[in-house]
Amino acid sequence: MPTITEDCIDGFQQYYSRPPERPKKKSLKQMVYDSEDNSYFGRSMDSWAKIGIFYVAFYGVLAALVAICMWAFFQTLDPRIPKWTLDRSLIGTNPGLGFRPLPPVDNVESTLIWYKGTQHENYKHWTDSLDDFLAVYKVPGLTPGRGQNIYNCDYNQPPPKGQVCDVDIKTWSPCTKENNYSYHKSAPCIFLKLNKIYGWIPEYYNRSNDLPANMPASLKTYIAEVEKTQPEKLNTIWVSCEGENPADQENIGAVNYLPIRGFPGYFYPYQNSEGYLSPLVAVHFQRPKRGIIINVECRAWARNIIHDRKERIGSVHYELLID
Amino acid sequence: MALRSDYEHGRADSYRVATVIATDDDNRTADGQYKSRRKMPAKVNKKENLDDLKQELDIDFHKISPEELYQRFQTHPENGLSHAKAKENLERDGPNALTPPKQTPEWVKFCKNLFGGFAMLLWIGAILCFVAYSIQASTSEEPADDNLYLGIVLSAVVIVTGIFSYYQESKSSKIMESFKNMVPQFATVIREGEKLTLRAEDLVLGDVVEVKFGDRIPADIRIIEARNFKVDNSSLTGESEPQSRGAEFTHENPLETKNLAFFSTNAVEGTAKGVVISCGDHTVMGRIAGLASGLDTGETPIAKEIHHFIHLITGVAVFLGVTFFVIAFILGYHWLDAVIFLIGIIVANVPEGLLATVTVCLTLTAKRMASKNCLVKNLEAVETLGSTSTICSDKTGTLTQNRMTVAHMWFDNQIIEADTTEDQSGVQYDRTSPGFKALSRIATLCNRAEFKGGQDGVPILKKEVSGDASEAALLKCMELALGDVMNIRKRNKKIAEVPFNSTNKYQVSIHETEDTNDPRYLLVMKGAPERILERCSTIFINGKEKVLDEEMKEAFNNAYMELGGLGERVLGFCDFMLPSDKYPNGFKFNTDDINFPIDNLRFVGLMSMIDPPRAAVPDAVAKCRSAGIKVIMVTGDHPITAKAIAKSVGIISEGNETVEDIAQRLNIPVSEVNPREAKAAVVHGAELRDVSSDQLDEILRYHTEIVFARTSPQQKLIIVEGCQRMGAIVAVTGDGVNDSPALKKADIGVAMGIAGSDVSKQAADMILLDDNFASIVTGVEEGRLIFDNLKKSIAYTLTSNIPEISPFLAFILCDIPLPLGTVTILCIDLGTDMVPAISLAYEHAEADIMKRPPRDPFNDKLVNSRLISMAYGQIGMIQAAAGFFVYFVIMAENGFLPKKLFGIRKMWDSKAVNDLTDSYGQEWTYRDRKTLEYTCHTAFFISIVVVQWADLIICKTRRNSIFQQGMRNWALNFGLVFETVLAAFLSYCPGMEKGLRMYPLKLVWWFPAIPFALAIFIYDETRRFYLRRNPGGWLEQETYY
Repeated sequence: MPTITEDCIDGFQQYYSRPPERPKKKSLKQMVYDSEDNSYFGRSMDSWAKIGIFYVAFYGVLAALVAICMWAFFQTLDPRIPKWTLDRSLIGTNPGLGFRPLPPVDNVESTLIWYKGTQHENYKHWTDSLDDFLAVYKVPGLTPGRGQNIYNCDYNQPPPKGQVCDVDIKTWSPCTKENNYSYHKSAPCIFLKLNKIYGWIPEYYNRSNDLPANMPASLKTYIAEVEKTQPEKLNTIWVSCEGENPADQENIGAVNYLPIRGFPGYFYPYQNSEGYLSPLVAVHFQRPKRGIIINVECRAWARNIIHDRKERIGSVHYELLID
Repeated sequence: MALRSDYEHGRADSYRVATVIATDDDNRTADGQYKSRRKMPAKVNKKENLDDLKQELDIDFHKISPEELYQRFQTHPENGLSHAKAKENLERDGPNALTPPKQTPEWVKFCKNLFGGFAMLLWIGAILCFVAYSIQASTSEEPADDNLYLGIVLSAVVIVTGIFSYYQESKSSKIMESFKNMVPQFATVIREGEKLTLRAEDLVLGDVVEVKFGDRIPADIRIIEARNFKVDNSSLTGESEPQSRGAEFTHENPLETKNLAFFSTNAVEGTAKGVVISCGDHTVMGRIAGLASGLDTGETPIAKEIHHFIHLITGVAVFLGVTFFVIAFILGYHWLDAVIFLIGIIVANVPEGLLATVTVCLTLTAKRMASKNCLVKNLEAVETLGSTSTICSDKTGTLTQNRMTVAHMWFDNQIIEADTTEDQSGVQYDRTSPGFKALSRIATLCNRAEFKGGQDGVPILKKEVSGDASEAALLKCMELALGDVMNIRKRNKKIAEVPFNSTNKYQVSIHETEDTNDPRYLLVMKGAPERILERCSTIFINGKEKVLDEEMKEAFNNAYMELGGLGERVLGFCDFMLPSDKYPNGFKFNTDDINFPIDNLRFVGLMSMIDPPRAAVPDAVAKCRSAGIKVIMVTGDHPITAKAIAKSVGIISEGNETVEDIAQRLNIPVSEVNPREAKAAVVHGAELRDVSSDQLDEILRYHTEIVFARTSPQQKLIIVEGCQRMGAIVAVTGDGVNDSPALKKADIGVAMGIAGSDVSKQAADMILLDDNFASIVTGVEEGRLIFDNLKKSIAYTLTSNIPEISPFLAFILCDIPLPLGTVTILCIDLGTDMVPAISLAYEHAEADIMKRPPRDPFNDKLVNSRLISMAYGQIGMIQAAAGFFVYFVIMAENGFLPKKLFGIRKMWDSKAVNDLTDSYGQEWTYRDRKTLEYTCHTAFFISIVVVQWADLIICKTRRNSIFQQGMRNWALNFGLVFETVLAAFLSYCPGMEKGLRMYPLKLVWWFPAIPFALAIFIYDETRRFYLRRNPGGWLEQETYY
């Protein structure tokens, strides 16, 4: 009884014959267009059109799927509150510090502030970038919400919900635009800010007898001073800037912090309110040694800020080189 | 015409065919080997060596007088060589053993594994890593050790996979070593008049050796003394008939003369003494072995496929790598960054684990085949049988049992079929008729064969017998029919005997009968039927003695022709009761000067013998044919026998005629028949010698059923080459030394494990442990299955390449933080993807793979553009979408909405930026954003694992629905669990953030990939649904891999 397969076999039984030997190298022209079988890159126009339509349709559907997924996902997000905050988010609860001015964008890997104090052109980049950075602080209208919800905060007057505190820039003198942030005097001002972390509440070092051992002595005396004179200002995240190495500590000279030596506590927690501006500390290097690189490390001090020089958490590192 | 004449010759001269060595035959089998060497294509490397082998066997040892011979070797027929001379000769000529084929040194094999395949590409990647690191180290104070780390990992990967495949390879080649050290052969040598037993290797030229039945001839010897000496040259010529050997010089041709016996053939009867005339590689056997090892075998089909695939992937990797290297430059990246991108693209593109996967899959199949009696020497040969489109099979021992067995009897004017099956399950016949009783008495008594001792438990058919093959067949047949033959012989004591000789062509013996009342002696005779008939005047039919008239002679002739036409050896039997008055008790019978009647005897019947096919063979041949494989018989045996066996096993199927058959049927000359009309062909070696390669091609192309008979080793080689020239992938089965060149030349040589000679095993790629042709069918099936499953495995593995490459491309082109790191890529390629990919090797066939034609080696590639299009263009893209979706989800949930990410890369990757703002105004330190980035890497990795679940399930089938295929592949189910557990382990195990930069994920981050996994599953089920609905349609042409 002959079956279908048996019928087929007669067909199979013939050997596969080798395809006719083609000239091994097709010319480039032939690769693009082969007149023999009217094909472009090995396919006829017809075939290209079919496969093209198939893939357009396929990717169209795939794009739609991605779009649907994205849309559905964005429904779960809040525009003002991150989905995960603090410990549940990867940002964690240990803010770092940032400094301004930053080196030029094309030198993004660098943290070196290098200029010649006598030439305006030379330090122009640094003062200009500070101008840009501080513009929102000067002109309230530049912030989102146009400064409508600015509240005049103080240590005993934390802002109500939805309101934000004002940063008073007048107290920064001599670190002001008018004074070229003191760059021309080879005594530059560097602005520090604490990284914003949504909902983060600092735990202050507000007792001078309960300070960590590795806190610089000058800061300890400062806190003791504050405790005596203005005890209401103790709820501050303190800031210290020092040379990293003993040599740097010698070269750095006197350092002044404006307006106070820390970030006032009433700015926290950050809740992504409209118009919120980070408090700033202007660090004024009054007599840094010239012609030598000075490694500076600034640290923020609160009980729930851990420092790690290598990972740059709770601190920031930059270098000064003033010719 | 040749066949016709052979047919005639076979019938008329069948006594010769039956019992005598083929002295008057052309004996081209052996002869041709040297003559046709001239035709050997000289495309072999070791030309000098091979030229030597091609020369005619030009020796005169058989022609010269014995005295001259002794003179030449300074030996003596009685005393042999002196010890000193023997030692000198041994030092000069080396041991008497075949030089084993040159092995590739182990370190070369190791290096091939270390630098072959993708290894080179990965080495480049590793070297780039080290270069990048050293440049970073010399320019920066605290260099990131990422590159050093990656370089070390890459080198480790290459070395480990190299060692792994080297280990696998050497393990399978060790199988051979079990065959190598066989029992050492000993030889009895006379030296300085003393008989010594030496190891055969220590024989030297001129040694005088003694050989007795059962021995293996230890070297090529010139016989100087022989008693009843017979040798079995089957391993040399393929002809299974024992040939007698003596001291007389009978033929110019060394292979035909009676006074030479050859190395490695077996002595089956008698004893002989001879002088060693050539040793080791210079023996006839050594020359054939040398020819075999000099042949260039070329790549296995699967190796070709894998190379093709490696070229394809390497091409893509290099193209993408270079393109993006250039793009990175144009985009203004630092050249070191561009180098790092290049490394990433190479790592992402190379499926690091794939070659190891392929090796493991092949090993698994090799193991499975070994358990079914197919031992694979070379791992890659596992698949070759699956691609085979032609099998050239030797007859003796492969298709047949290599055991003469009584197939038919003719008595009482009818042909009775005897049972030839191995297990005696065939037809039974009436054993009580007087005709059979008479016939069986002659067959029992006129027979010198005896069972060898110590074989009590062995089935009768398997017992070893000393004596001639035909007599052994008769002995076994009688033992089966009557019981204890030896006892019957004892009761009918032999009084006198005229043994067979070539002039009489009969054998007579005279016995007392067991009937004590009858004092008459019984004379029994057997021999060539026509000669026996001549000596008879009466015939014994149905218990009555009748006059042998013309009518009876006609009946005899018909029976004889019918049996001869079946390719069987026919013997005639007659007997005569000697009248007691003339030959009283105690009569002295003189066998030299015959004093008793040997004419006017009573004819009793015919018995015919054949080496019957193995029981499983016809079925196996049918399976091969339904699998589209052409089975060609290539044998050294006679055309008639070959054709008969071919017909009985189905190599020539019923109703198919050869040119000669057609000519006979239509009663026209052969030359008038259109050869295209005949599907079958029986080609004689003699014809083959005069055939050009074009004509051979024609024979191979236009006949579907071919038998090559009386072929020499060279002709076997030519046939194999002819098939290969036609584009076929050829398997050759064989057991003899004469098969070994063809075995070597074939795409896959299959040797016989039991009967096969060492040389043939060495030349083969596969060994059938049970010598059964049917095991080949298993091999074909397994080979085809593994080819299909390798496709699936590769499709599965390649798919994840797209989600591995695309993050890099997005990183470069969109300036987003890197979504997937190089280490994570390695975790996929060498970790989670490995077990599932291997488990696909256990997948069942989707349909009956033995009902489809063998794959077309020119068009049906292991990895074709459709597979790439599916893996890269379709499923891979869905997977990449899943990965990116998860990436954006995690970024957004932590604060970086997609909008924010584009263009952020430089700031993101800068250690100097300690306060990068996200979409919620939060500011991120470098460390925190890197934690976020690595968490994204982990999530991307996890989502690849999730979509690979779906990919694994769709890769189970290429055409069927998963609902048809089922989930019964437990290895695969384990693979699903394994990859999930491994992924979870990598993500959650403490310490991974330090070692592999893998961070624990929130449980919800496993889920975003699931819609994409479903999409893959649904898309592919739908695609395959349309494939089944529209076979041969556009979708099949474009996506069926």
